[in-house]
Amino acid sequence: MPTNGTRGFHPGLVDLASGHVSREIFVNDDIYAQEQERVFARSWLFVGHESQIPEPGDFFASRMGEESVILCRDRTGTVHVFLNSCRHRGMKVCRYDDGNTTVFTCPYHGWSYDTDGALVGVPFFREAYHSELDRSKYRLVEVAQTCCYKGTVWANWDATAPDFLEYLGEFRRFLDLILDGWDGREGQAELLGGVQKWIIPCNWKFPAENFSGDTYHNISHRSVDLVGVGPSGRSRRDYNEFNASRRLHVAIPDRGHQTITYVLPKDHQPQAAYQNSPEVAEYFFHCEEERRRRPGVNSRLIGAPGEIFPNVALLPRQPRTLAVWHPKNAHETEVWRFFFVDRDAPRQVKNFLRDYYIRYSGPAGMTEQDDMENWNYAHAASRGTIARRYPYTYEMGMGHAVENYEWDGLRMPGRVIDLTTAQASEEPMRNLYRRWAQFMEADSWDELMTWRHTSQREVQAVK
Amino acid sequence: MSDPINIRALAAGTRVILATGAEVEIVSNPGDGVWVFGRYLASTGDPGMVGQEDMIFAQDVVEVRS
Repeated sequence: MPTNGTRGFHPGLVDLASGHVSREIFVNDDIYAQEQERVFARSWLFVGHESQIPEPGDFFASRMGEESVILCRDRTGTVHVFLNSCRHRGMKVCRYDDGNTTVFTCPYHGWSYDTDGALVGVPFFREAYHSELDRSKYRLVEVAQTCCYKGTVWANWDATAPDFLEYLGEFRRFLDLILDGWDGREGQAELLGGVQKWIIPCNWKFPAENFSGDTYHNISHRSVDLVGVGPSGRSRRDYNEFNASRRLHVAIPDRGHQTITYVLPKDHQPQAAYQNSPEVAEYFFHCEEERRRRPGVNSRLIGAPGEIFPNVALLPRQPRTLAVWHPKNAHETEVWRFFFVDRDAPRQVKNFLRDYYIRYSGPAGMTEQDDMENWNYAHAASRGTIARRYPYTYEMGMGHAVENYEWDGLRMPGRVIDLTTAQASEEPMRNLYRRWAQFMEADSWDELMTWRHTSQREVQAVK
Repeated sequence: MSDPINIRALAAGTRVILATGAEVEIVSNPGDGVWVFGRYLASTGDPGMVGQEDMIFAQDVVEVRS
């Protein structure tokens, strides 16, 4: 499939008027290469959690798109994100997953960098360079912007991008469902254990689309539901609020973020959950009671799968986890899954959750295996010459999303489809690919910040 | 050419001689096998270095004194 050589993107690939998306955006190597520049070099990307680097000198080797980066805390306590590549010949200066160090030393020729990125060691600096090398020109390459938000660390290579909270927009409340304590206290999440990493033979957009809110594929998990891996020995999760709540697709059109969420009615009482352990059940029941006493809309929201554009999936509740879909090439994705618990939760609760998380998610998790099988075979079956001629359809629920949605006194942002009766829609996927196409088309962040232009027009209209 | 010295094994307080003849006391060791941090005790070639701390490259260490 030829792509436009000047703009690098063919607009017909994402046709939201017909609800069709070409298979080329998943399997074409040229499009994949352009994504690295247009999407991943300009988006806010999740790189880790502050609890991974609590002390000066702590580091965690992370990724941004295809590139290896170092998340580290320097000796003054400042958090940095550096490209993991020596300025001399490009060798990785950090080859450990995590640790503590005073310097990052390149094993190739020995150039060495302080934890603030400064080049501090150059072998034979006096003898071979005659003390003439300007070391200040060769610091580790640092991202243009970094944001620590409730413990999570996000980074962006593009200095012209909006700050992280503006990038999130009204989607922030859904991220808060993971990062705040289960009792509603702000920013109580901590990482549980290490990061699970594995590779799936599919394009990164398959999992990104799935976690945008694909309720239609629940049939895939039927066997897991029947086995009963959930924390009460039934199904996959505890769903006792299901019948009382409104189940919604929420899509933020100008940001490209989307999620499923459950809205509880006013004065809803906590439901039984985590019945496989009386102590854990008591902990969460208490937390749910506390959460309901707190002001704010989130006390009435139950988190469900969602996606922060482009490649961060959130699952705020069972299991409570963030996943990053790191692109490796057009046909492979490296998944990094981070699990969270309340920092103050009793050890018994953390142990219980660890067992449940492992049972559910990750390469050995029963539910994740179902998903991986779908993405793996869907990708492989879309690579052929004939297969590429036939676009995927995203027509479900077209024209049925509403704005200014409100239920029982609670207003939802963005475009909403009520799944309580509809069961499923493809509004979140259309939202994802609309934003993806905008990134592939736009030459600058100014073009991508459509909300600012709207605000300016409103101001001018008032004048 | 002298035998290579495993600088990873050099603890803080160890005194070493560099190829320039300077004597340096190890201040800390990041354990990367490439660099140590040291304080110059003597440096006839560059007396201004005495008392200063600097990063010492592994290949520059030619002798361990103590």
